[in-house]
Amino acid sequence: MTDPATKPRPQSGEELVYAAAVLILSEDLYPRKLEIIREYIQNASDALDDFRPVAEVVEDHWEPVIKISIQGHSLLIFDTGTGMDAEDIPKLKRIAYSEKMLGEEAGYKGIGRLAGIAVADKLKISSTSYGDPKLHLFEFRAGDMREEISKNKRLGIQEPATLVINRHTSITTTDVDKESHYTLVEIRDIRDSCLDILEVDKLKEYIADIAPVEFAPDTEFQYGSLISQKLREHVPDYSPKAIYLATPTGERLRIYKPYINQMTLATPNFIEVQHPDRPQELMAYCWYATKGRDMLGRIRPAGKIFSVDGTDPEAKHRLAGLVYKLFGFSIGDRTLPQRTLWTVTLTRAQWFTGEIHLVDKTVLPTTDRSNFVENDSREKLYRQASAAISYKLNKEAQQISDDRQAFDTAEKVKKNLDQYQRRLSNQQIDRADLKTAREHIDRELERLKKRGGSCKDPDILRQIKDVSKVGNTVRQQLNDPQLLKKAKTLADIAAELKMTAKAQKVFEVVMETLQNYYTADKEEYYRVAAKIYSALRKKY
Amino acid sequence: MKPEQPFESNPNKEHIRRFVDQPLIEGWFQTTGRPLKYLGLPAWQMLDIVAWQRFLGRFTGIERAENQQHLMFLQANVRDLEHRLYALYGSFDHILLQGRDSYNKMPEWPYDLVNLDYFGGFIYADLSRPKAFKKLIENQAAYEQSFLLIVTQHLRDGDSLGEKDKFLTDLGSRLKGAVLDKRLYADIDKVVAWYRDAQIPDAARQGLYMNLFFREAGEAEHFKVTCRPGIVYTGTGNTSMIHFATDFIYEHSIAHRATSDQTLLEVIDLGLLEARDEQLSNKLLRQPKLGKPPRKRPAR
Repeated sequence: MTDPATKPRPQSGEELVYAAAVLILSEDLYPRKLEIIREYIQNASDALDDFRPVAEVVEDHWEPVIKISIQGHSLLIFDTGTGMDAEDIPKLKRIAYSEKMLGEEAGYKGIGRLAGIAVADKLKISSTSYGDPKLHLFEFRAGDMREEISKNKRLGIQEPATLVINRHTSITTTDVDKESHYTLVEIRDIRDSCLDILEVDKLKEYIADIAPVEFAPDTEFQYGSLISQKLREHVPDYSPKAIYLATPTGERLRIYKPYINQMTLATPNFIEVQHPDRPQELMAYCWYATKGRDMLGRIRPAGKIFSVDGTDPEAKHRLAGLVYKLFGFSIGDRTLPQRTLWTVTLTRAQWFTGEIHLVDKTVLPTTDRSNFVENDSREKLYRQASAAISYKLNKEAQQISDDRQAFDTAEKVKKNLDQYQRRLSNQQIDRADLKTAREHIDRELERLKKRGGSCKDPDILRQIKDVSKVGNTVRQQLNDPQLLKKAKTLADIAAELKMTAKAQKVFEVVMETLQNYYTADKEEYYRVAAKIYSALRKKY
Repeated sequence: MKPEQPFESNPNKEHIRRFVDQPLIEGWFQTTGRPLKYLGLPAWQMLDIVAWQRFLGRFTGIERAENQQHLMFLQANVRDLEHRLYALYGSFDHILLQGRDSYNKMPEWPYDLVNLDYFGGFIYADLSRPKAFKKLIENQAAYEQSFLLIVTQHLRDGDSLGEKDKFLTDLGSRLKGAVLDKRLYADIDKVVAWYRDAQIPDAARQGLYMNLFFREAGEAEHFKVTCRPGIVYTGTGNTSMIHFATDFIYEHSIAHRATSDQTLLEVIDLGLLEARDEQLSNKLLRQPKLGKPPRKRPAR
């Protein structure tokens, strides 16, 4: 280890960062280009939060909104947040410079605001803040800069980043109402290879999934207000934003979280993840729900991988699993909690959908928001959440599975019993089938009893009880000869087979002997007799 | 949305916008029974769109300067109109003539209201602007769509190409060919000479030229055209501007060129108005007229 005091220090004025670093930083950070939009929504969201206290002081009846629109090859992100003034705007040129407080706002690394240059040739940001009579327009000509850096590289010229950034950026101003406050980011001249970030459906789905948006109104998602209320109670910074998307066809869509009634969610539940050192404090708060299914007139957990409408499996299962949320933004995808909290039965983790909202802000996201920075807080979170969430959900999944199987068995048995009852009422059951039927019903009732043993749903248990009662009734009904198929007499059979008088006599003797033999087990006699009649019919 | 910006506006232009154009637009809105689809050069402030937004549905805004277009996006967002804006990037003439903008996007034909408020004149060396206007009218005709055309331009054309001189010569011959009464020839010569007179402000020639250009181009594409007097005013930065508002009503039942209800003589006699001090006046020019003087009411 080198003693910090003896570490080599740069000479005064020596340039330590070169132009290519800007490109590397921006381009390599976003393997999935849609992530760039998250950066700007995050900044917009922070700007709205920052203006909230100001609005109260200056009595500004503002509407906090984030609006996203598409024009030509431009993606636009607008917010009515605090905005930037003449002092703030030049700071946009600074890479990885941020005045945001760690743990207080969604973004804090100061890289995201230039993220757009990873997909576009130009970045334009216009902004004004409350009290500033000027609108400032910052322009970053990234395409020209890229071209110049590549050209210089071929020529062996390496220029300091500051020099190049200054050459390819500019700031202009124009007058505005000094009470206005907003920011518009235009990611302009998006490169052909990245144009898919302008696809409305993809954008809508992505924003709904990752951004701090509200749940759809109760008419569209019946559990929305319940979950919102719980989150507001338990997550101090829970502050969903109104995000709109203007489509190129002129519609304006309010974006909500992706849950709707048509997805048939079972009633959601909640888990508190407590801090190991300060049990009165929460580390995280989780809501979850399973896919629901109509059972006994009520939506109950279906006990299968959470699926939504879609054509390919990936689309169908896109909401399967929980997702971490920090300041309302997703961290990682839905496999992250599975990878970090579940050790076994990963499939069961996918039976649930939901969110784990982080309350402890010492758990920090990585720059690309795909995971959390490895630190002590993260380890505590994983340990606590694993115990609180995955343990509970695995246990719950087992119970869901038991209840669902009990219900399915009861339904199946009921169906079979209904069939028996129908056949009995139509006198369709042959005496010869009595034994088999009775054995079948006994097996079914036994299976039902076994399923009922692990079921805890009182309604399903009641159903099992009812079905068992029906089973016993059917068993009783099988004893009633009036309900059975009318048996043919020996004379009828003899006539049918055109037996001679002597043959008929022999036949009657044989059958009487058998009947006497099976006096104690008449149903077995009927079964054997039926076999003999069948054999005779085949032969003659 | 709360944040609004103080926009540089000109009182004369504002007067025309509110008291000349807006009633016309409202009339069109009532006639069509639906929000009007707009194509125009609204500049980044989009003052026209903001003023008329209750009559408009979706609007196409053309802008050729990048930062101005960015500010147009900003203004649309601030005014809560961003979903109704369809922005095209490039020059109006180029987009009209090529059918696409710099991003290969096409105008959303047809339109109910076309408002071209542009910086510059009408007659350039390549005559691209008249060609673009003709293309606009052709496109509207292809959809058999009637429309209101509002044009505001700089009065700086002069006549270096001799275009207006040629036009006046042709006009004289056309008028003589159109009247049976040869006694009127003298009046026609008088009118043409008046317009040719270098002492007469170019606004007079420009007004007549533009209105007859619209009429000619419209009728050729099956539109009945109703022109209104050009309105001259002093715009921002002391620039001389001229404004036109013209109805183009598509005639569905004819295979040949349309004949407007408004006669050629009536168009010539429209003259010019001036917007000054928030008022319209017709005292700017006293041009000779060809039409009959109003008949005197008999004394009782």
